[in-house]
Amino acid sequence: MSLAQPRSTPTWLALLLPLTVAVIFIGIWHVAVSWTQSLIFPRPWEVVEGMLELATKGVLHKYIISSLFRVLWSFAIAALLGVPFGLLLGWWRPANLAFNPILQLLRPISPIAWIPLSILWFGLSEAAPMFLIFLSSFFPITLSSMAAVRNIQPVYLRAASNFGLGRFRLFTAVILPATLPQILTGLRIALGIAWLVVVAAEMVVVNPKAGGLGYLINDSRSAGRYDLVVAGMVLIGVIGLILDLLIRQLEKFDEVRWAYATQ
Amino acid sequence: MSLKSVALLGSLTILGGISAVYFHYNQEPRRNFQIGFLPVTCHLTCPVTHFINEQMHGEGTYDPRRFNGFPEMKEAFISKDLHATFIIAPLAMKMREQGVPIKIVHLGHRDGTALMVHKDSPIRTIKDLQGKKIAIPSYYSNQHLILYRTFQREGVRYDKNLLIETPPPEMPVNLATKQVDAIIAGEPLMAKTEMDGYGRVLFLSKDVWPNFISCVLAVREDVIRERRFEVQDLVDGIARSGKWIDEDKDTTMSHRMQAADIAAKKQYFNQKPELIRYVLSKPPDRVKYTNLKVRRADFEEIAALGVAAGIFNGTVTFDDYADTSFIPEGREIDAWKWELKQ
Amino acid sequence: MKSAGPTPRNDLPLRHTVPNGLAVSLRDLRMTFPGQRGQPPVEVIAGIDLDVHVGEFVVLVGPSGCGKSTVLNILGGFQQASGGQIVVGGQPVHGPDPRRIFVFQENGVFPWLNVVDNIGFGLSKHSRAEREQLIAHYVEMVGLKGFEKAYPRELSGGMRQRVELARALAANPEIIWMDEPFGALDYLTRLKMRSDLVRIWQSERKTIVFVTHDIDEAVQLADRVVVLTPRPAKIAAIVPIDLPRPRDMDAPDYLHARDRIFEAMGNLALARGR
Repeated sequence: MSLAQPRSTPTWLALLLPLTVAVIFIGIWHVAVSWTQSLIFPRPWEVVEGMLELATKGVLHKYIISSLFRVLWSFAIAALLGVPFGLLLGWWRPANLAFNPILQLLRPISPIAWIPLSILWFGLSEAAPMFLIFLSSFFPITLSSMAAVRNIQPVYLRAASNFGLGRFRLFTAVILPATLPQILTGLRIALGIAWLVVVAAEMVVVNPKAGGLGYLINDSRSAGRYDLVVAGMVLIGVIGLILDLLIRQLEKFDEVRWAYATQ
Repeated sequence: MSLKSVALLGSLTILGGISAVYFHYNQEPRRNFQIGFLPVTCHLTCPVTHFINEQMHGEGTYDPRRFNGFPEMKEAFISKDLHATFIIAPLAMKMREQGVPIKIVHLGHRDGTALMVHKDSPIRTIKDLQGKKIAIPSYYSNQHLILYRTFQREGVRYDKNLLIETPPPEMPVNLATKQVDAIIAGEPLMAKTEMDGYGRVLFLSKDVWPNFISCVLAVREDVIRERRFEVQDLVDGIARSGKWIDEDKDTTMSHRMQAADIAAKKQYFNQKPELIRYVLSKPPDRVKYTNLKVRRADFEEIAALGVAAGIFNGTVTFDDYADTSFIPEGREIDAWKWELKQ
Repeated sequence: MKSAGPTPRNDLPLRHTVPNGLAVSLRDLRMTFPGQRGQPPVEVIAGIDLDVHVGEFVVLVGPSGCGKSTVLNILGGFQQASGGQIVVGGQPVHGPDPRRIFVFQENGVFPWLNVVDNIGFGLSKHSRAEREQLIAHYVEMVGLKGFEKAYPRELSGGMRQRVELARALAANPEIIWMDEPFGALDYLTRLKMRSDLVRIWQSERKTIVFVTHDIDEAVQLADRVVVLTPRPAKIAAIVPIDLPRPRDMDAPDYLHARDRIFEAMGNLALARGR
């Protein structure tokens, strides 16, 4: 059966199918709003107009930059701290015994639950939303780095010890490259979570002067501008997709591809 | 190129680029005096004072900071991110009771609260509110206490479980979708439901509790101690704005319309000017900005009600939470000599 | 850089100068694993005495699960014996040692390094020029010319084992331990790998201890074949194979040697059956 053997789909089909779904989706949206004569929910075109309005006012790119600024810096700090910490926990058992319980305890707490404390500690400075984003990515990064060390195939460690590597070379020449693919996957997932959280964080804690896409949604909601609410949602989706596509490019390098490619 | 160099170069480029643009957009320095407010007419003097200061002196003396709800505002105040804030009076008193060193230095307004029901609602009188779900801004709000006081006078059974704490900006939608039976908060959010055609006034605060106070200006004690001059300037400005707004209340209402247009601006309330104009004029005593001195009798009534409603334990007194020294009895402040250029 | 042909290398002094000419000396090697979940302990090796001479090619054969890989792991320093005397290179074994390189059944080539970097992995102490020369030498010796920049995932299973063998040889060890290195390969590849290994061993003259369950493989490769009993392992027979290489698989002497090994294993099976 054709189901059993995947054939490469022609490019035109790979483009046409999602486009068709998108057009149908937008069509249903338009018709549904028209039929129900909703005064509140915007039509697709009104959302585009809303975006254009924001762009001409000069706030659109400002908000996008603000959100990206927060998410990328917090994510970078979380990665710089989380990866070494995770590797340490994976490699050194006493560290694992000491820290794993508290990590497991803090991990399931939603970043949203940290909002009150983050305002108490950081007020409404940029540090408040950035702290929430940091938390949301630090735990997955740490835990995936820890798991990556534990998942190293024993044969690589045995080969390494056979060649008499010192601690430093063992780490740089074997542990790091062996764990890199899983670390990268962890980073990719964490970036997605960070982007989810920046929006939630900005809905509560943000300096209105700098704004942000989450701020845009909440602010437009207060002002009853639901076209801008939906515009904010669309932008969040598109930028999230671009971030994911960018970080995915790193998975194509030879240093890590071995772990993803199915033989 | 190797993964290492691409990842390093890529992340540095992206971070650097984003940061450069971010700091380009946000180079305006933060002033070292931050005042919190909500987009409600109870806090109208905040944007008006800021705007008039800016127009007269080329710059404001403080940064107004908009919030959507009182919990975030309270936390920002405790964290010392805010130096002063417009806040519901009982919440400020409660914070004092919990040991947060703040003082109430001035009132924000009088009246200016309404209780709204859906226009199709069977609720016609206050007695009909018995057993109904009502959205309030906070348990520590005078909207809560005005309900408590009114229910006692009208013989309606008070049930705390039917009161739902809701950020005021969310209340109109909650009423439109009938998630609650009634909403009570500061204007213009209540009038908005009226203008949008789904809300009906059950009562205005002025009719059930004349000269009702909901919000006050509270300042951190360390700020009062160390920056008394600036606080005095702020309080005087707020008082001037109040006088200015109400100066021609009963005649042309020109200042009220100017105040509405100022507050409607994006950096302040970000609301439609017509809405604020409506609230400030129909009727003009829906909300008032005169008689804003901090007086013992007003607060002792609030404190007594709060103890009865179970939100205070009665351990703090007027002298703990109020500071009347900025505008003492006998000192009168004049209105701004200023008009908005159209 | 000049191409270094597959000539025997003489740049590094061979270090296997052991007093009695023994690369490995086992006396009463014993191994018992502690029992899992209340089970009694499992005895895996029940006393093995064996000497391997410097430069000798010794193959251990035995039925699956008899403990022959455990013997090799103990020699390689990856496992600790429960008892007995284990002397390798004139010294007791305390752990893995770069003077003895292990070639793993599951392929220990690092997937994040290309062929050249894998082969050069044990050469970090050499100068860059030396390293490049040695790598080129062994790339050619194991027949990977043209694949220098390829990554393991792009290579066949046989080629990956060639990379691992080249990596082991480049480190210039005294002994190479090989644990069923061709077990996962198809029949024709296996034949080719064996004849290449014989050729390489003849030019490098390393001591090799090789574990397999394939009797043909043993007869083709070994100077001596050590036949082990089923668990717990003891030596059932030691069969010297004194035939010239490359060996003709149809020669009467070859078949005779093969039969002797079969006999050593088969008789035991029969004896157990009674």
